[in-house]
Amino acid sequence: MNNLSKFLSGRLFLGVLSVALVFAAYIWLTNRPDNNPALLPPISDIIGSFRTNLTSGSLMTALGASLFRISTGFLIGTSLALIVGCLIGWYKTIEYLCDPLIEAFRPIPPLAYIPIIIIWFGIGEFSRVLIITIACFMVCVVNVIAGMKNVPQVYVDAASTMGASRFQIFRTVAIPAATPFIITGYRIALAAAWTTLVASELLAAQNGLGYLLQEGRRYFLTDQVMMIIVIIGACAFIMDRIFRMIQARLMQWSEARE
Amino acid sequence: MPEIIVDNLTHTFGKGGKDALTVLEGIDLTFESGSFNCIVGTSGCGKSTLLKMMAGLFDPTDGEMRLDGEVIQGTDRRRGMVFQQDAVFPWMTVRRNISYGPRLRGAGKAEQAEAEAKWIEAVGLTGFEDRWPRELSGGMRKRVDIGRVYANDPDILLMDEPFGALDAQTKERLQADLLKAWNASKKTVVFVTHDLEEAIFLADKIIVMSARPGRIHHIEEVALPRPRTEEMRLTDEFLQIKRRLWAMLEH
Ligand SMILES: Nc1ncnc2c1ncn2[C@@H]1O[C@H](COP(=O)(O)OP(=O)(O)OP(=O)(O)O)[C@@H](O)[C@H]1O
Ligand SMILES: [Mg+2]
Repeated sequence: MNNLSKFLSGRLFLGVLSVALVFAAYIWLTNRPDNNPALLPPISDIIGSFRTNLTSGSLMTALGASLFRISTGFLIGTSLALIVGCLIGWYKTIEYLCDPLIEAFRPIPPLAYIPIIIIWFGIGEFSRVLIITIACFMVCVVNVIAGMKNVPQVYVDAASTMGASRFQIFRTVAIPAATPFIITGYRIALAAAWTTLVASELLAAQNGLGYLLQEGRRYFLTDQVMMIIVIIGACAFIMDRIFRMIQARLMQWSEARE
Repeated sequence: MPEIIVDNLTHTFGKGGKDALTVLEGIDLTFESGSFNCIVGTSGCGKSTLLKMMAGLFDPTDGEMRLDGEVIQGTDRRRGMVFQQDAVFPWMTVRRNISYGPRLRGAGKAEQAEAEAKWIEAVGLTGFEDRWPRELSGGMRKRVDIGRVYANDPDILLMDEPFGALDAQTKERLQADLLKAWNASKKTVVFVTHDLEEAIFLADKIIVMSARPGRIHHIEEVALPRPRTEEMRLTDEFLQIKRRLWAMLEH
């Protein structure tokens, strides 16, 4: 009894329940006699579109292209953010030098760079990856800096009275103390990467998930549009889960591991 | 052996600004080599500030401190400090915290393990070697703090209310252990406490500070013989000192 109520109020059950409810509502809507399948295609059509695109190979090609862009942009953007953020957050001189720049560029949505990037670099692969890189860098670097600035002074003092050099303090105190912020930065960057990926592919691409979305709109293939949305959602969800696993592993020491 | 001289030291936080606050004024002190010194005084009289400056974490606005004739500037592993706040690194297990100092100097695995075994046992944390600090009580974390500083083997121990958060039994045990370790090594100890009984039990010399701004109010030489024993806590001499200091702190 107690176990049952625990299960019923648990994360897994409630999570599955909410997804199931949305599914049920969708099925109910699409089964109404006045439903227009061109606007709200039934689930069977969406699955059908998934099958066709899978067998024709276009889905895999698109997924491959998009994942490549995401991972390249994400890795370069966050790595740069980690290095630059650490330098800015740890060295006062570098902070004074770079802070106005970061503050000026921070409020600009990454998508606003698309026109200038297209003017400079055309609509090739480089431009698309560059946009994702900028987006990841911007959202991540802010968190890395915040992490570095929030290192509790008493830990720095303790290390320094034990004879640690400035660099040793950076490596053994600042980095671990900032890890929660850094991981949050990486997770936000991942979300930003998906946003900019789709936007850049909608604007200028011959392949990728965003391109399939655009194609679906152009030929009025609503089932294909729906299918791609679900695929993007699923990919983002899986990546975030993987991230949370890494986070749980790195953050074993923390009180707040979720 | 290490002797610290505090020479006409004054410290003002935010000097020149409109909320400048003079915390310490005209402090002259000598901490003789190998002596055990306690500092008592009301909350906010500048005890922690004085200790942090002795550790070299910041410079006084006026006057200076010398260690064996050399002006103290910046931190040094020879001056170890147990902070009033919890300073245990939460991202290291108890074991890793304890051997942090040796690791900084590139100690090998065996040397680290040796330090861990010795000091975890000394502060009574056997069985908790591989726990995270979040899994320990406040008093246990304090003991990790203390063990970590001991394991770093400084010449001078600056301790800021290290036993404040502990229950009476653990406190008495750690006091006795501290005296034992001090006897064996003859480090110079500067120990801040609110607990008069603790001060009398431990110290050669008790420095009583007055507040706003912090000044030296009185220096009490404790003539109780060593080694100190638990029974001494109830002797007339002990209680007399306690009464005298108590009256001073009232005012
Ligand atoms: N970094 C700082 N900036 C400005 N004022 C400070 C700073 N640190 C301490 N003070 C002030 O200096 C005074 C003395 O502080 P300190 O921590 O040295 O007191 P204390 O004697 O250790 O007190 P307690 O027994 O409560 O620990 C306090 O009035 C405090 O407000
Ligand atoms: Mg204090």
